[in-house]
Amino acid sequence: MSLGHFADSRALTLGVELELQIVNTQDYDLAPHASDLMRLMKGKKLPGDVKPEITSSMIELSTGVCDGSAQALAQLREIRDVLLDAAQRLEIGLCGGGTHPFQHWKRQRIYATPRFHHISELYGYLSKQFTIFGQHVHVGCPGPDQALVLLHGLSRYIPHLIALAAASPFVQGEDTGFDSARLNSVFAFPLSGRAPFVQTWAEFEAFYAKMTRTGVVASMKDFYWDIRPKPEFGTIEVRVLDTPLTVEKAAALAGLIQCIARWLRVERPFDLSEDDYLAYTFNRFQACRFGLDGTYVDPTSGEHRVLRDDLVALIDKLEVHAMELRAEDALLLLRSEITTSGNDAGWLRALYEREHQLSEVVRRQTLRWGGAPA
Amino acid sequence: MNDLWSWVPWSTLGPPDVPVLLAAVVVAGAIAGELIARTTRLPRVVGYTLAGWAAALGGFGVTLPLNPTARLLIDMALALLLFEIGSRVRLRWLRHNPGLLATSVLESLAAGVAVYLALVFIGQPSLVAGACAVLAIPASAAVAGRVAQEIRAEGQVTQRMGYLTALNTLYGVLALVVLKGWIETERAPDLLVAAHALLVSSIGALLLAALLGLAVSLAARRLDLRQEGPALLVLGLVLLAVSAARWMGVSTLLVPLLAGMLLRNVSDRAWSWPRHFGTAGGLLVLLLFVMVGSAWSPALLVAGGAAALALLAARALAKALVVWLLSRWSQLSLKKGIALSMTLTPLSATALVMLSELERADPAFGAGLAPIVLTAVALVELIGPVAVLVALRFAGEVASEAPAPAKEPT
Repeated sequence: MSLGHFADSRALTLGVELELQIVNTQDYDLAPHASDLMRLMKGKKLPGDVKPEITSSMIELSTGVCDGSAQALAQLREIRDVLLDAAQRLEIGLCGGGTHPFQHWKRQRIYATPRFHHISELYGYLSKQFTIFGQHVHVGCPGPDQALVLLHGLSRYIPHLIALAAASPFVQGEDTGFDSARLNSVFAFPLSGRAPFVQTWAEFEAFYAKMTRTGVVASMKDFYWDIRPKPEFGTIEVRVLDTPLTVEKAAALAGLIQCIARWLRVERPFDLSEDDYLAYTFNRFQACRFGLDGTYVDPTSGEHRVLRDDLVALIDKLEVHAMELRAEDALLLLRSEITTSGNDAGWLRALYEREHQLSEVVRRQTLRWGGAPA
Repeated sequence: MNDLWSWVPWSTLGPPDVPVLLAAVVVAGAIAGELIARTTRLPRVVGYTLAGWAAALGGFGVTLPLNPTARLLIDMALALLLFEIGSRVRLRWLRHNPGLLATSVLESLAAGVAVYLALVFIGQPSLVAGACAVLAIPASAAVAGRVAQEIRAEGQVTQRMGYLTALNTLYGVLALVVLKGWIETERAPDLLVAAHALLVSSIGALLLAALLGLAVSLAARRLDLRQEGPALLVLGLVLLAVSAARWMGVSTLLVPLLAGMLLRNVSDRAWSWPRHFGTAGGLLVLLLFVMVGSAWSPALLVAGGAAALALLAARALAKALVVWLLSRWSQLSLKKGIALSMTLTPLSATALVMLSELERADPAFGAGLAPIVLTAVALVELIGPVAVLVALRFAGEVASEAPAPAKEPT
């Protein structure tokens, strides 16, 4: 399969996709109500889209093409409200978060679908961990070469984005110690990680052709990269974010990515180089494990900094671009999280510390998704 | 029950005591249950019921009026199931989904009216028809709770089955209180007396239920009820409340059901405990199914056959029609509506206990009802769990057939 044509899209436009958890309102475990929820969503007029997923306790919502985070937020709120209304009529809960904190993969279950057999045979115990929920942000690129340049530029800030969005400390009833345990599941895939360091579409196509010839990949979908070009949309897609607990945070993260993209595009603050990736996996691990307290190794200077400080410095640099893109509110929200309350993983841990019960934690997640204050 | 033992050579030792019989019931039930689980895809309760059937065919099934031990065990087992099913009913759902509220009220009403008309039509006295109508309102909390748990069903049909069963049990039990008031005033339909009886027993039940709810929520504040040890405390509290209800002459069905509902609706907090209170609860449930399965005899079957069939047909049809017609309004697809209506067919321990209560109020009248009700229970007892299983499979809510929970990251 060839890569196909890189679609036209306006530079710096945004699209947000969120994978949501569907839980019951009894013990707040994951619950398979997606088909009923989809049935109620049929015929509803939405600014974006709501889609089912392979897992019947997950649903994906997406905005249309947005100019900025404010528009994305308005769309997300509208879709959320329609979804919440349907969920109420079915007495089910919806929430964010990168993992369900205590769902147990039941060994006794034998799934009838061949696809599941394939996955579980191939990945063994890893397949237990694949029920994860992420936010994807698309950024529009005027052409394929620009897309690759933006992709490699943004890669420097992947650890920052991971730390800020981390919302998956608990897996299978245990505190993993990680702020984003979700990404550990993604990293288990053979083709996860980063795109090859090529800056032109012609080179990328050559790489893709070689990969398809090996038979290892059949389409772009087989690459589980942190950022990946999406030729059909004419975008690059940032995929490292855990689904946040609120739509406000989701829109703010999209706003931050848009601001970084504009800063990279307009100011070209550094030259791209393969060496940018020397510390990439180290930085990414630090962000997953320690969140905002993680260490960030500057690939150019080799300097070690704390992600929290580096993020504040980054947001300061983005001020002009935030004004230009009307993303001030988005950055304000993120700045206050960075300097005061911390990321969603921290919020979840603190709540568990008080409540000692993960099902109560999930219930509060559903309340926050519904718009209740933290 | 002791006849069986008279021909045993060592019968001079005297009949076996109750614990020995109970142990025999447990062993037989457990073997039958495991056999069913191993050889078929049916839930274990089918095996328990078959063990009961074997007992009934052998002529040593449970007879009415229930002897104190049987009544105690059935009450306790049913109390656990009703408490649990009640604690899953959030009344706010009925507010957000008026179609579901209408379904609940109308399916109960329609079942009662249809059964009454059907029985009068085939020539039953109207009081008998009325009593049967009341007993036909509840679906089976035991079957619904147990089967769904065993096959790990989850989804809208499973959730609604629990709600509708809890609610129609509530309506049925309240109607029974009125009926008993009626009968106790020598069948003079005095509304005032009936209303008084209803009031007194509802207040008593509500009071006990509130006490039970309070005690459980106090326990929940200090202990982790999901662990087997602390869950035993809840089990003990439920059993204590049921004993108190029996002593006060208040419905033993109403108290645990109301307590569960109160708990669920007073606080929003998430909470849960091992389903059916783990092993201890499982033992009671096994006993319940074996005993209810044995509550008939071939002679009874002949006496009550035609009327029981009429009752079952009218009941199933009425419940199904309402659920189908209102499925759209209650936000359910027709396919799932059909599945839901099938889950309401079981008729079991609840009806048996209600019958036993009627028989205590008026032995002659109760004895007149018994052939119809016991035959109906016996006929549905085996079909019920299978109907629930088939319905939940049809709705795609059984774990082994549900779409895979695992996915590759996208």
